[in-house]
Amino acid sequence: MNVNSYYKKSLSRQFGVSMAGFIIFFILGSGLLLYFQQSLNKSFKEDRKKIVHLEGISDKISGSFNSAFFDVRGYLALNNEVLLRNAEARESEIISSVRKLENAAFTRSDKEMAEEVREFDSYYFQETLPKVIKDVNEGHKDRVIELAANESTKKVNDFQERLDGYNQELNERLDKRVNQLTKDQTALQIWFLFFILFALLTLYIIIRTMFSRVGKPLAALAAASNEIALGKEAVLPKENREDEIGSLSSAFRKMVSSLQEKEKDLLAQNEELSAHQDELHSQQDELQHALRILRENELNLNRRNELINQISNSLHKQEVLDSIVKSMSELLPADKGLITLVDEDAFASFGVSVSGVQQFRNHIKSGLNVRLLETKKAFTIKREQETAEKGFHEGISYCYDLYLPVLSSRQKTVAIMIFSRYGNPFPDSQLFEYEALAKQIGISLEKIELYEKSEEDRKLNQDIINSVHEGIQLLDSAGTIVQINKQLCDRFFSGKDAAGLTWEEWIALMSPFIVNKHEFSDFILNSIQCQKQEDNEENSLVYSVTDSNQVLKVYCENVFHGKEKVGTVLVHRDITREFEVDQMKSEFVSTVSHELRTPLASVLGFTELMLTKKLKPERQKKYLTTILNEAKRLTDLINDFLDVQRMESGKQSYEKAYAELDLIIERAVEKQQISAVTHKIVLNLDSKENFIWCDQAKLEQVFTNLISNAIKYSPEGERVEIKVYQEDGFVKADVIDFGLGIPEESIDKLFQKFYRVDNSDRRKIGGTGLGLAIVQEIVKAHEGDITVSSLYGKGSTFTVSLPLVSIKKGYEEDVPEKVPAAEQYRVMLIEDDSSLAELLKEELSEHGFSVTWFSKGQEAMTVLKTDVPDAIVLDIMLEKDSIDGWTIIEKIKEDEKLKEVPIFISTALDEKKRGISLGAKEFLVKPYKLSQLSSTIMQTLIKKGKTGQIHVNKD
Amino acid sequence: MKRILLAEDEEVLRMLIVDTLEDEDFIVDEAADGGEAVQLFKENQYDLIILDYMMPIYTGLEVIRQIRSSQENSAVKILMLSAKSQQSEQDMIIQAGADYFMAKPFSPMKLLEKIEEILDER
Repeated sequence: MNVNSYYKKSLSRQFGVSMAGFIIFFILGSGLLLYFQQSLNKSFKEDRKKIVHLEGISDKISGSFNSAFFDVRGYLALNNEVLLRNAEARESEIISSVRKLENAAFTRSDKEMAEEVREFDSYYFQETLPKVIKDVNEGHKDRVIELAANESTKKVNDFQERLDGYNQELNERLDKRVNQLTKDQTALQIWFLFFILFALLTLYIIIRTMFSRVGKPLAALAAASNEIALGKEAVLPKENREDEIGSLSSAFRKMVSSLQEKEKDLLAQNEELSAHQDELHSQQDELQHALRILRENELNLNRRNELINQISNSLHKQEVLDSIVKSMSELLPADKGLITLVDEDAFASFGVSVSGVQQFRNHIKSGLNVRLLETKKAFTIKREQETAEKGFHEGISYCYDLYLPVLSSRQKTVAIMIFSRYGNPFPDSQLFEYEALAKQIGISLEKIELYEKSEEDRKLNQDIINSVHEGIQLLDSAGTIVQINKQLCDRFFSGKDAAGLTWEEWIALMSPFIVNKHEFSDFILNSIQCQKQEDNEENSLVYSVTDSNQVLKVYCENVFHGKEKVGTVLVHRDITREFEVDQMKSEFVSTVSHELRTPLASVLGFTELMLTKKLKPERQKKYLTTILNEAKRLTDLINDFLDVQRMESGKQSYEKAYAELDLIIERAVEKQQISAVTHKIVLNLDSKENFIWCDQAKLEQVFTNLISNAIKYSPEGERVEIKVYQEDGFVKADVIDFGLGIPEESIDKLFQKFYRVDNSDRRKIGGTGLGLAIVQEIVKAHEGDITVSSLYGKGSTFTVSLPLVSIKKGYEEDVPEKVPAAEQYRVMLIEDDSSLAELLKEELSEHGFSVTWFSKGQEAMTVLKTDVPDAIVLDIMLEKDSIDGWTIIEKIKEDEKLKEVPIFISTALDEKKRGISLGAKEFLVKPYKLSQLSSTIMQTLIKKGKTGQIHVNKD
Repeated sequence: MKRILLAEDEEVLRMLIVDTLEDEDFIVDEAADGGEAVQLFKENQYDLIILDYMMPIYTGLEVIRQIRSSQENSAVKILMLSAKSQQSEQDMIIQAGADYFMAKPFSPMKLLEKIEEILDER
């Protein structure tokens, strides 16, 4: 590369090269100056050394001469040879010093000095000294003195002065040399100063040049950029440079040109944008218009939402109507308004007087409303304000009324709304919006109607399931209770409404009551999860509860909507009774089996023994007696079983008649007393009246049983007491024993079949366990009661209570006169057969009834209008009559006064059902026992009083 | 002579069985309930025990369990008489430790045969 181009290409290189030149120049200059300095010092030191050396030699010479002079004078004075020899020795010293001096001499004066010394030396030692020594040795001291006085002393002195002068000269020479040095150094320093000044100047020039080379073009570029920045045309100075400034300048130029190009582009784009902007402005105007419409719509929507909110807050009709009127008046806005339902008496108003509302409602289907109801379109009317509406204004001002129909979804006008504005018309353009609002209101009103209907249905539904004896639960598909009846809530949820409880919650609440709770909850869970639609199997579970001895059965039925399971119905039925009956039945069978087998075993066993063995007559008799007894026991048992079965199935028949209890008990006691060996039966009759309506044989069985029990269960006792007394309209009989007594816990079960107090004492006492059950059944069939009180170990008291019949013993004794008139019941007899009528009349009269006989129904009906009998005996087939028995019954039952009178039908027609359905008391089919009629009438009247209703003769 | 314990609460049946057995020279001890039966069993040595099922104090089943609870009594033969005739009840009786079962009503002659058969086995 060309050096020149290398140099030109970079400013830093240019600067570097200049600086390098400068540094070389500076080092050379400084070095030269330093060298001068050094050589000055060096020549000075050498000169000084020479001069000092010369001074040393001069001093030595001077010294040596002085010593020699001294020694010679000593020799002269003392004639001491030693001293002379010393002086002679000095001569050699001096010669060597002179030689040195000659060697060191560098100036002429030095050489002259050396010459002079040599001359003097030779003079002194070569000429003078040998003469002196000779004179001395010759004794010519005078001569010596003379010599000394003539010339030698002077010469010595001169020489000495000359030596001193030389020394002086040397010193001066040294001083001169020092001065010279000082002068040279000062000069050198001045040179140095100049040199530094020159160097600084050079440096300044270099830097100045460099800066001007960089700064100037930069300033020009900056000025040009400023011009360009200001948007002016700028002509850039063309630089023929290759360095950084050159490239900067060219880059800058390129930039400027590209900028200028871009500016042109931008200008073009700008124009385009302006066009766009204009377009946008017009679009914005359109948008703003649309926005205004949107805002209006939003406002309308807000109003509507507000209205809907207001009316959907409640499902109470009146509340909703009130809020409709209020919201609509605010929304329209209106000064007053009214809404009224068309077909219902419900309305709400705002700013309208009560009489105004009433007036409108009175003409709801006439006047302007006709237009509304027919067109089903909203309309407005303009009218002059009435005086009251004008306020303080005079002259004409107007009021505008808006009539709005509220339509149901079936386009039926369900309500009418009217709103009024003073002075401010309802714009026709808004009518559409008002109608839309009215539509919303219509929907709300329909919703309320639906709600009211569904609420009514729900209540009805709940009432229905509440009226059912079973507990009923309806669960949704997740097991949450949707509906539950009161019975179930009372039983398991302490009366609180359990609807809404989730499966877990209600199971948790029920579990504590349920013995087999795991089985129960598993069953419920299975029921809820069961998806089988066609499941004809009965799905149920029996469970017992912890807080009573109730047994319940829960049935599960799935509810399907189409194929989707929507819920489960659970029905909880109290089956305690069935359950117990079931248990008792199986117990009964097993007990019967056991009870029958034992006597059977005896009968069969002994019979076999008698047949197979040859026995003595005594044993034969013993066996036969045993067989007989066991067979009797078997018979008793079978009879008892049959009695119990009959009683339980309600097939036991009782032949009831009036009888005195005293007599019945006396008979029973007599029979028992015969067989009782150890016990005495004490009878205590204390009742004034003891007539009862009873089956004597059955009652005798009751007391026979009770007395035999009393004897059996007091094996150690000696007597059994029986007390008969009267109490609260009942005749009571206590059967008291003093035996084993009954444990308290057994008293409740005592009357159950086959129940036998379980202890060893009792086990030995035979019995079927049916006696007391039979006794209870019989007593109950007589509308009586049996109770027991007992002290365990002390004895028991069984009390039989039977309803006392407080009638005259009269008819028993056939003395009707004795019967008080007030107690005589009046019987109307309607019978066309006069001979039968006579018979009946006689029979009834005998039993104390007062009888009026009518052969014709019509006549009887006439009398019945004024006179009401206690009972009517009626023949259905009244052949010669225009009116038959059925008609008479119907008429009687229609009459308020007569309908309570019991009617006894006496007929040959067996149409009992028809008779009873018409309201007859008894239906006696001819021929019947005459006594049956009177006893039936008596029974009815006594038991039910005169107002008894239905009585069917079972025979 | 073989000694037999008879436990039966019905006096008449007791008489029937005792008469039948005593005619054949068995010695028969009578117990009228479960309690007496257990007592007599403890006091005496028997070749056979005849038990009624339904008895006061201890039922026949309970008497069997008391007897069989002791190992040394495992050899004595037990015959149960019962009105309970269902198979499940019979199984329960046999399981409890009775060797034989006879249903009521029973034939005294057949009972005798059975007893002789049992005692011959020993």
